[in-house]
Amino acid sequence: MKKTILFVYLVICLFGYLTLNVVAQTPSASASSSPTVVVDKNIQQLKDKIANKVSEIRKKNNKAISGFVLSNDGNKMIINNNGEENQVKFDDTLTKYFKITGAQKKEIKANDVKKNDYAIVSGVMADNIITANVVLIDENFLVDSGKIIEVNKDSFNIKVSTSDKTIYSLDVETNTKQFMLNIKLLEMEKVGFSKIKEGDTVHFVVKKTGEEKNNNYSAIKILIIPQEYFIK
Amino acid sequence: MKKETMVAIFLGLLFGGIVAVFISFKSKDIELAKNKVIAPQKGKTSFPNTTVIEQQPLVLDEPADRAIFENSIIRLKGSAAKDSLIVVQSPIKDLIINNKQEKFDLEFPLALGENSIKIVVYPKEKQFRPQEKFIKVYFIDSEL
Repeated sequence: MKKTILFVYLVICLFGYLTLNVVAQTPSASASSSPTVVVDKNIQQLKDKIANKVSEIRKKNNKAISGFVLSNDGNKMIINNNGEENQVKFDDTLTKYFKITGAQKKEIKANDVKKNDYAIVSGVMADNIITANVVLIDENFLVDSGKIIEVNKDSFNIKVSTSDKTIYSLDVETNTKQFMLNIKLLEMEKVGFSKIKEGDTVHFVVKKTGEEKNNNYSAIKILIIPQEYFIK
Repeated sequence: MKKETMVAIFLGLLFGGIVAVFISFKSKDIELAKNKVIAPQKGKTSFPNTTVIEQQPLVLDEPADRAIFENSIIRLKGSAAKDSLIVVQSPIKDLIINNKQEKFDLEFPLALGENSIKIVVYPKEKQFRPQEKFIKVYFIDSEL
């Protein structure tokens, strides 16, 4: 009987020991996995750091150029800005293409970029070739100012001489935004074509298509500084 | 002739000569003082009724030409003549500011893509020519 009790006692002790061991091993198992988690975290941090550094370098070397498209074969294009030609390389995985219409942008494909489109390219420039991150197809605007030297009230046209002696012929259309400086309040106010006089100064915005003749443009908006401002 | 007479004649001639030389120099000075000075005297040039005003140039500190932005609103910082009229124009915004201080710091919106911005300063002193700056900046959305 004593032997049986001793045997049972030993079995219970062994069972208890094993149970304790298993319980004790459970946290140790999680402890053994923690170095892996730490290593994973370090790798992730390193990856983030590298990604940030690459992004910083990209931003630093990022340049933007613009011009009218001369040619596009789907892998590269050549753009021309006032006689200066630039080669643009496309990256299949990186380059994105958008067409801007007003405040909206629509994603397009490389082959949608056509000759004579006005392209704005952002990317990394190396050896005079820009690898495009983004290609935006937009409209080209000319912003300038000068003195009005002629007002044609029949054709609603004004001729403007700029500081570099360029003469522009501007058609003032019904949708042209026309503003004039109020010389007392120094604020802009809407005016009609009849208020425009020779000798006034005009600030203007026109759309350039590259196909204009005789520097004649349709004005998008004009801002008149009346000559009275300069003699008050 | 007596010796005394000779001495008296000699002294008389000597005294007369001295007086003649003295009068001659004195009359020259009087003559010069009466004449007007035509050439300006060195170091004494002055223009009592003329004030020289120098035109303060238009300086645009920010942004740089062809800068790329990820935000649609930027600040135009620089300096121009006090009380001058500053006109800033782009395809999407016209701004007229009376520059009350020399330094200016203007908030200006950008359109997506290329932004041509012309800044013209009309000085208060109308005899001065307007000053101009033209920049192109790019708003490339970071999400693109």
